[in-house]
This record gives sequence, structure tokens and C-alpha cells, in this order.
Amino acid sequence: MTSKEAIKMTVVAGTASAAAAQVDTAAVDAAFETLKTYDWGADRGLLNPIDQAIIATHGDAAARKALEKRLVDALAGGISRSAQDYVCRKLRVIGTSQSVEALAALLPAEQTSHIARYALERLPDEKAVDAMRDALPKVRGKLKSGLIGSLGVRRDAKSVTAIAGFLGDSDIEAARAAAQSLGLIGTPAAAGELSKFAGKASADMKMPVADARLVCAERLLADGNQSEAVALYKALQGDDQPGRVRAAALKGMLAATKK
Amino acid sequence: MADYTINSAKGRYASCGRRAFLKTAAASVALPYLIPASAMGADGNVAPSNRIVMAGIGIGNMGRGDMGTFLGRNDVQYVAVCDVKRDVRDSATNTVNQKYGNTDCKAYRDFREIMVRDDIDAVHCATPDHWHAIIVIEACRNGKDIYCQKPETKTLREGRLMIEAARRYGRVVSGGSQRVLEDYRAVVNACWGGSMGNVKSINVSVGPFPVDCNKESQPIPDGFDWDMWLGPAPWAPYHPHRCSGSYSIDGTSWRSFRDYSGGGMTDWGAHHFGGATFAIDVREMEPEEVIFHNENGRKFATCRYPNGKLIHHNYPGRKNMQVEGTDEQGPSKPVPGYAGSGGIYGDFIDCVKTRRNPFRDIEYAVHTTTVCHLFLIAYELERSLKWDTVKQQFIDDDEANRLVDVARREPWVI
Repeated sequence: MTSKEAIKMTVVAGTASAAAAQVDTAAVDAAFETLKTYDWGADRGLLNPIDQAIIATHGDAAARKALEKRLVDALAGGISRSAQDYVCRKLRVIGTSQSVEALAALLPAEQTSHIARYALERLPDEKAVDAMRDALPKVRGKLKSGLIGSLGVRRDAKSVTAIAGFLGDSDIEAARAAAQSLGLIGTPAAAGELSKFAGKASADMKMPVADARLVCAERLLADGNQSEAVALYKALQGDDQPGRVRAAALKGMLAATKK
Repeated sequence: MADYTINSAKGRYASCGRRAFLKTAAASVALPYLIPASAMGADGNVAPSNRIVMAGIGIGNMGRGDMGTFLGRNDVQYVAVCDVKRDVRDSATNTVNQKYGNTDCKAYRDFREIMVRDDIDAVHCATPDHWHAIIVIEACRNGKDIYCQKPETKTLREGRLMIEAARRYGRVVSGGSQRVLEDYRAVVNACWGGSMGNVKSINVSVGPFPVDCNKESQPIPDGFDWDMWLGPAPWAPYHPHRCSGSYSIDGTSWRSFRDYSGGGMTDWGAHHFGGATFAIDVREMEPEEVIFHNENGRKFATCRYPNGKLIHHNYPGRKNMQVEGTDEQGPSKPVPGYAGSGGIYGDFIDCVKTRRNPFRDIEYAVHTTTVCHLFLIAYELERSLKWDTVKQQFIDDDEANRLVDVARREPWVI
């Protein structure tokens, strides 16, 4: 941030809220300067002015946007892994669509994929979900299960088909994550994919799929899709299911009929 | 696969594989000489076939103590230990095998291998906090009861998922704060006995807050699976302070750091706020508001419950567990306690047998850690927040809602 921008941030802050006026722009500037060389072992306290600026600019959209831009710019500036880690943690709290592109660029790399999701998974902007969905075909190895999991947490209905494609994956972590995420998404389409796969699930996947179907049924029921929930519960009462799954399905069925 | 979920307590043991082993063994000539009468149930001992078969996950420090207590019970048969540190699991394995005079106890680095063992009824978990939710949910999913050390949750979202998993599979899930009942008896008895009149509030003094850890990289000790220790937490280089299980919360233990703990606010907060919610009888509900105060730089906060009761944190001029009541005699009611014998551990084992909810049922435990997390988020953002207890989200505060959970490092999902 230039000194002119910093002054502007303070002025805007001053008009927007009393708290925003407390931003110490010189200290914030120094903290951003520190970020350029910040690495593991550095004093974390040197970055505290940025933390304080985040609190102080609450409710001040212009100041927040300026602060976010500085964080995004820092991310693109070749900083260390530790500094990237710090920036993503802050963008988790204040990131908007303005941050998505820079965070999405970190998703395919093994060292940064998770910390990028650390921010993106919690960003309410739909572009954050779009970025994770778009990245799914581009990642390899265990990063797949991470993205699948985040899309599940976000209950991204648009990802159902893509995630279902991982149910039979030879990577058991990705397959398990796919089952769990479809359960969390909890739409009729997700239920359909789980049911379609259930009959051909390997021994390792039988319980994850059964559990996911139970979770899915609970989500369906909570969302008012009673008939789809009941269908799942019925399907889980066969002799091929462990006793605990049959019992859970029976309980679920009773709950569904009370609704 | 043996599955005990819907069986009666009696049925649980009847279907235990160990009993089948003994039945076969008893037919041989030599075996009766190898098994002492005490092991078969004489002298007040419980025959192995009728014991709760247990394993421990995270068995350094607190877990070692938990293991010792369960191992000392004659109604428990301890068969497996799990830890990411080889020396810790080897030492624990030796302890168990010495106790039983055999080599039956198996050691694991990955808890999931314990979860899929059909012969294990229950587990206890004393890993760092960032692992608790994953392990509790996985235990429930695999039909195992679980005793989980406090603080049971690392984030707000985890709590509801843990309760749902416990209820879905009908598991006994006990939180791990013995202090809730044992440390604050006088306060609890006064409130429940009516001598505090109509209780309005209670104050808890606890801290410190968790901090970020940026310690430098050091060589990973031989036999330590660092990646598994980090688990769902963001990657970070090994440093002994980052993962020390010391009880200090001064930047030299994992309890100090945000990625693995809520600092003193959850570590001791699970005890204090647990006692406070018990004393003022709000265990069954969550606060619907947390009010942040900043009076001339002196920060403190208050949680308000739907019934109007308040839990203060660091209220100026008030002591820890100080209750605000009214002058008249209030209603009196019996104080709940543990089932069975042997404190909170005995309560858990008794409930495993009877299928009742334990004293520190996961729902009560989660409601306590929810208080801790609500305070932490209000302090982090330095503002008051309204909490929708049904939707499990903050009302009209997107920023606070981002702090309801964290994205987990691959491959971990809940």
C-alpha cells in the first residue's frame, strides 16, 4: 500500500467507525514489509498490526478492501510458505471475490493446496466454491480428497457428479472423501449417486457408503425431502448391512415418519 | 462381524469372540492349568469374556493416565494402543502386556486400524484436541463407545457432528472432564440446593487465549510420525514446543497454539465452564448470544442463555465460579452424579454396560466447549455476536461464521 492509500484508509475509517480510526498505518506498513521476508522462526508478533487492522476495519468496506488487496498482492509476491500460511489465515476472515483468483492459484500445489482451502472453504462468496470445483480435475494424489472434502462441507450441489466419479477411485482416501462429501451435500442427486454405487462398493467402502447414506438421509430430512430420506433408510435395512447401520436406519425412519 | 449396537448389555458379552475362544480352550486338557481361576471370574474378578474390550488412542501424558485407570479395572480387557510416537506406544504396550502377563496387546500408529477391529468394544482418546472430532466420529461409525478427553471439540461445527454421530449409532460417548463434578461440588450443591435463590449468573476466570505458532524447523525425532501428528491441522515444520504434551500453556506445548487447541480458554475452560454450566443448570442448552465488553481497554465477555441465565468470563471484580443469585430460597433438586464406581471412568464403563448416557455425555460436553468457542470468537473479532443454536451459525455476521470451522488438511474430512 502506498502512503496515499494508507492515508485514504485512515480517512475512510475515520468516517465509517470509531474503531477503524485506530488503525496504525505506519505499523501496518511495517508489518507488510516484514511479510516479504517472514519465515518460520520469525517473531509472529511482528505481524500483529495486520491482525489489529482487521479488527479495526470491521464495517468499513473501503478500508477492508484495501487491506485485502495488500494481502492478495503479498500472496502473489513470492513470499515464503510461512508468510503464505499467514496471509491465507487472514483471507479466511476477510477474503472476498477479490481474493479468489490468487487463492485458487495455490490449489494445485501440494505445499499450498490446504492452506488455500483454509481460506476458500470459509469464504461465503460462491466464486470460492467455483474455484475449488474447477480445481478438482487439475489436482493429483491426496489433494483430491482435500478438495472433495471442502466441496462437501460447502454442500456444493454442482459437484455431485464430479465427486461421485471418485467413489470407485483406487485411492481409498479419495473414495472415502467422496462418500462423506456426498452425504454432507445431502441432496436427492447425492443420495442417488450413493445408492447407485452402494451395490458395487468394495469391502473397504461398504461402511463409508452406508454412513454417508445415513448422513445424507438426515440432511434430506432436515431440508424437507422426506420421501427421499425414507427411501434411503429403507435401503439400509437389509441383511447386508451391519446391525448398527440397520438400527440407525430404523431410528431414522421413525424420525422421518414423525415429521 | 460382531455388532453390539442394538443388543442388550447381556447380549454384548454373549457375542464376544473372546468367550468363544475360552469355550474352545476349555475343551483342551492343558489350558485349565494356564488360566488362573481369578481370570475365569473367581475372587471377584470379571472373566475376560465378560470384560469391556478396550483400546487407547493417544497414550502419552493424559492418555497414559487414562490408560492406567482403565487398565486397573477388572471389568476391562485392554488389547491395543495407538500413538504416533513409537517410544510412547512401545512403552504402553509393554505396560499392558506386563499387567496381563502375555503379549496380546497390539500397537498401532494409525487409529483407523483399531477402529475396524471387531473385537474392540470401546476406546479412549487423549490425542491433541485437533484430532478429537475425527476420532470420536470414526469410533461411532465403527460401533465403538468412546471416552474422549476434554476439550472435546476444536471448532463449533465439530460439536454438532459428534453429537449426531453418537446419536445416529447409539454409542456411549463421554467427555473427559472429571472436574465438572468433582471440583465444584460446593457451588453446584448451593445452586441445586436452592441456597443461591434464583441463580442469575456465574463468572469464570480462565485463560490464556491460543496463539499462532511460527516456531522454526527442527529435525523430526526418530520414530515420530509428524505428518500423522499434524493430521487435519495445517502443515508446519516440526518443533518440540509445537507438539509437546506438557500441561503448560505458555508457548511451549501444543495446548498454547490455535491449530491444535483453544489455549487455556478450552483446555481449562472445559473444566471451569463445564462446572459453571452444571452449577447454573444450563447443560442442556447453548447460549444464544455472546456480549463483548471493552471498558477502557479492559475486555471481558458474557454468554446469555435462552432462559436469561448468564455466564461471564473474567467479569471485573468477580472470582472464578462466583455465583450471582437472589436472597430468597430457590427450588431444590437432586444433584446428578456418576453411575457405577471409579469416578468418571467408572461412569463411562457402567454406561457402556447399561447403554445409558454418561454423566459427561457428549451433548453436555459439546455445550460446554461451545461456550468456550463463542467466547474465543467474540474476543478474536472484538464484538458481540448472536448465535443461532438450531442452525449452528451466527446471525447476520458472515465473518464470525467463517470461524465456525476450519478446512481440514487432506485426507481428513468430517
